[in-house]
Amino acid sequence: MTALLRTELYKIFHRPRTYISFGIIAAITFVIQLAMFTDGKSFVNFALQGVSEQFYIQGNILNGYLITYIILQSLLIHIPLLVALVAGDALAGEANSGTLRLLLTKPVSRTQLVLAKFTGSIIYTLLLLIWLAIVALGASLLIFGKGDLINLKSDAFVLILQKDVAWRYVAACGFAALAMTTIAAMSLLLSAFADNSIGPIITTMGIVIVLTILSNLELPIYNTIKPYIFTTHMIGWKGFFDDPIPYAAIGRSAIILVVYTILFIAATLIYFNRKDIKS
Amino acid sequence: MRKVFALLTIVLFSIYAQAADVNQTFYKLRDKILSVKDYTADIRMKINVSFMRIPDLRGRIYFKSPDKLRLERFGGISILPKKNINITLNNLLPSGNATVIDAGYDMLEGKKTHILKIVPSDDQTDIVLTKMWVDEANLLALRVETTTKDEGTIQMDLHYGNYENYALPDKATIYIDVKEYKLPKGVTMDYTETDNNAPKPKTDGKTRQKGRIEITYLSYKINTGLSDAVFNKK
Repeated sequence: MTALLRTELYKIFHRPRTYISFGIIAAITFVIQLAMFTDGKSFVNFALQGVSEQFYIQGNILNGYLITYIILQSLLIHIPLLVALVAGDALAGEANSGTLRLLLTKPVSRTQLVLAKFTGSIIYTLLLLIWLAIVALGASLLIFGKGDLINLKSDAFVLILQKDVAWRYVAACGFAALAMTTIAAMSLLLSAFADNSIGPIITTMGIVIVLTILSNLELPIYNTIKPYIFTTHMIGWKGFFDDPIPYAAIGRSAIILVVYTILFIAATLIYFNRKDIKS
Repeated sequence: MRKVFALLTIVLFSIYAQAADVNQTFYKLRDKILSVKDYTADIRMKINVSFMRIPDLRGRIYFKSPDKLRLERFGGISILPKKNINITLNNLLPSGNATVIDAGYDMLEGKKTHILKIVPSDDQTDIVLTKMWVDEANLLALRVETTTKDEGTIQMDLHYGNYENYALPDKATIYIDVKEYKLPKGVTMDYTETDNNAPKPKTDGKTRQKGRIEITYLSYKINTGLSDAVFNKK
């Protein structure tokens, strides 16, 4: 299994397109940081106008922690796409290049192969998140400095003291890793159904976009299904930036994401073990 | 006829004496308050507004008479109500001549207080009416309610301790009116699980639109000759 995983990691990290994801994250982050550096005050004034009508808010509002929060909010849709680029390609890419049948002639079970692909995707996802933390949090703190974090919710203005922010980002990254694992598992399932990697990647994106829109629509008709959609729970990382932190809700969201991940992987195993491999 | 005249004289005299008495109380108290030309105070501030979730803030207030005020948060973000920046008692009192009306007595937290209504003589000032609950024994204002032309009514409750000789409170509670705050959920992309299940800020029918700011003064440095430059810092 270790050798299989090592091979998977070798394949993932020796493909140039893997690094496109890291480049995209760096580019998006840089664009947002540049925009905030040049015109951040207008953005802050616009965002805070509801509160600043009534209160004087002074100090280093536009600090590294706030910029990182804005970046994370902006990357809500993009990160799943980047995860799908690798996870969606894991099985379908092998089928497309005709190496899947050859691979299965080796003394490894199909279950082991799926689990190795899944673990490889998780490692890639974690590295992507660590890279995001370095370029978003690290660089933003370097450019904009530290400070208290203002989090604007639809019905609340939350202020988190500087000393209380760093650990929340660590926790939020942990939760984001869990959410992205669910995306990787779904993408892998879709990858098992396909014989070329474009299909699973686009389908993953389509599902994420549609369900994210559905999760954010304030229509009573969708309110009953929202709690069961995984995209509703993927933004659970935001809970760590609330006061008080809704630990019970975050825990519930984490459980739902884990259940989805298990279901996707189980479905992948069941389907892939029965699949007639023709290429 | 003589009896009626005598009675009228007594009544008028007592009204005049009473007016002189409340006038004296007000001006003595105002002189005491205005004897503080400047101060620097380390504070702990608690903002209790229904839509604001803010931890207790520590900082330093700089004040210089008549109306310079600055709150510093030691590098953090500082928040002050805009409508009533007058979080010091000095700014809630009319500065020039005023008509002082006796409005009776009231008990405030177990203390007998004399209620004074003060109408400024200068109609250019922003203050329309100030109502004070004065502890005459210690010459301290325990509650001040000021109605202004532009900012509505501001109420401040004061508790004294170590600095009562300067009429500087150890704790001040300021009541403010706040508007409702809303942003579109499509913009904030709230974590809806949080919204449904997390405890909401405590509000009731009476206080829904009312905010409260509690300032605990931990220490004062009084009349040190603060420079104006302190108030120009960004």
